[in-house]
Amino acid sequence: MSKVGSSLGATFGKVVPAAVFGALFLGFWEWAVRFFELKPYFLTAPSAISEQFVNNFSLIRAAATVSGTNALIGLVAGTTLGVAMSFVLSRFKFLNQIITPLAVALNAVPIFVLVAVLNNMYSITSEVPRRIMVALVVYFIVLVNVARGLTQVSSTHVELMRSYAASDVAILRKVRIPNAVPFLFVSLKIAAPAAVITAFVSEYFGGSQNGLGSRISSNIANSKNAAGWAYVVGACLLGLLFYSFSVVMESLNRKGRAK
Amino acid sequence: MSAVNIRNVSKAFNEGKSNQVDALRDVSLDVKQGEFVSLIGPSGCGKSTLLRLIANLLEPTSGEVSVNGKSAVQARLDQDYGMAFQQAGLFDWRTVRKNIELPLELKGWEKADRRARADEMLQLVKLPEFGDHYPWQLSGGMQQRIAIARALAAHPPLLLMDEPVGALDEMTREYMQGELLRICAATGTTVVFVTHSIPEAVYLSNRVVVMSPRPGRITKVVDVALGGERSEDTRNRTAFFEAITAVREGLRGMHAAHVGLGNDDR
Repeated sequence: MSKVGSSLGATFGKVVPAAVFGALFLGFWEWAVRFFELKPYFLTAPSAISEQFVNNFSLIRAAATVSGTNALIGLVAGTTLGVAMSFVLSRFKFLNQIITPLAVALNAVPIFVLVAVLNNMYSITSEVPRRIMVALVVYFIVLVNVARGLTQVSSTHVELMRSYAASDVAILRKVRIPNAVPFLFVSLKIAAPAAVITAFVSEYFGGSQNGLGSRISSNIANSKNAAGWAYVVGACLLGLLFYSFSVVMESLNRKGRAK
Repeated sequence: MSAVNIRNVSKAFNEGKSNQVDALRDVSLDVKQGEFVSLIGPSGCGKSTLLRLIANLLEPTSGEVSVNGKSAVQARLDQDYGMAFQQAGLFDWRTVRKNIELPLELKGWEKADRRARADEMLQLVKLPEFGDHYPWQLSGGMQQRIAIARALAAHPPLLLMDEPVGALDEMTREYMQGELLRICAATGTTVVFVTHSIPEAVYLSNRVVVMSPRPGRITKVVDVALGGERSEDTRNRTAFFEAITAVREGLRGMHAAHVGLGNDDR
């Protein structure tokens, strides 16, 4: 019991300073807007934003569902493709040597601008280009990490398996795949927030005005800053949801290994 | 029939290139059933290479290696030997018991049989209560005992060990040496053992094979006249010190020429 109590206490001790800081920050923001009489188009007060958030909640939720669905479908598709391709790469060394440097380089550039090109390939109201874009971003992140997990195995383990006359398939199943699992979860922790960001940014390049990204830009364009901010809050919450999910998945995996 | 027979074996890396390394040249060695043989020598003398040729993890450039009267390849395919390395090499994602079961899984044993054998091996290395632990919950010495249990799980007639206690502290090391002798006596296993330590080689072995580098070769074989039964008292006997001196002289023969120039131990 005391162990549970102390770990709760530790969590509490970590949360409280952050929560206090956040509250103070919002308070200072509210005070600054009122004291300096800042115009709403320059900076909107937190109270006005929260009012807009409550009033527009059902609209924000609908927009979040559109962006969230795009992010989720792209995340699942990209992860599936990335894992599949990493198996191919780990099997064929020469492919690995060609594709891995390319994938690493692509991870470092803002490839989500490609959505502008993808938009031309589909009808104006299609969500497909955005989903493809999310999948591409996720794909390269997962590919690079999982391929690393499949190939960077301990030389002692490989020699041991060869001493057992183990086949390549057995080495894959008993050594490479278990070794790659933590790499997959780490890559998801990077890929999940990236998927959400890509889904938002993809909406800036045209298509239906139905997601959080496009709602933010259109509200700001119409000088409805408080409403724009309310959608930003929605976007933050959606990003947090995806990130938390990946963190929970990883900790479940870690617990499964360390009973 | 010898447990291991090595006839005129040479091994060159990067053969025919400018950076060719003669890891072994014209090595012959015969290990009898039930014998404990240590390979000792400075870095680069080819002792680990020789062990890997016996294990068929490497192919000789010339010469022949046979294990239990079979070719080295066939012996590996039949899992006629178990192997332990300097790193315990346990799998973090498997429990201790599942680690020991691995070679049996690959042989296609039934689950119940695997479990029974793993428990038997845990008894043998005196860690019966640790079956459900994960490797990282164990000390270095315990991990090495599990690695030895895994190497012996399929009851192979031959055990190949590459500095299996080299990474442990001196006290754990001496304890492990005693345990190793006890386990080998209990199972009748033949052992080929690679080490850097002269007292360790002498304490454990019936014969100590002294090797020298560039090219790797056998320079001396020391018979250790300590008999089969060994205990902590063995370390104080005159025959123990005589054997140590004999091995040291064997190593010193090449001392001036090679110490300080050693390259990677291949």
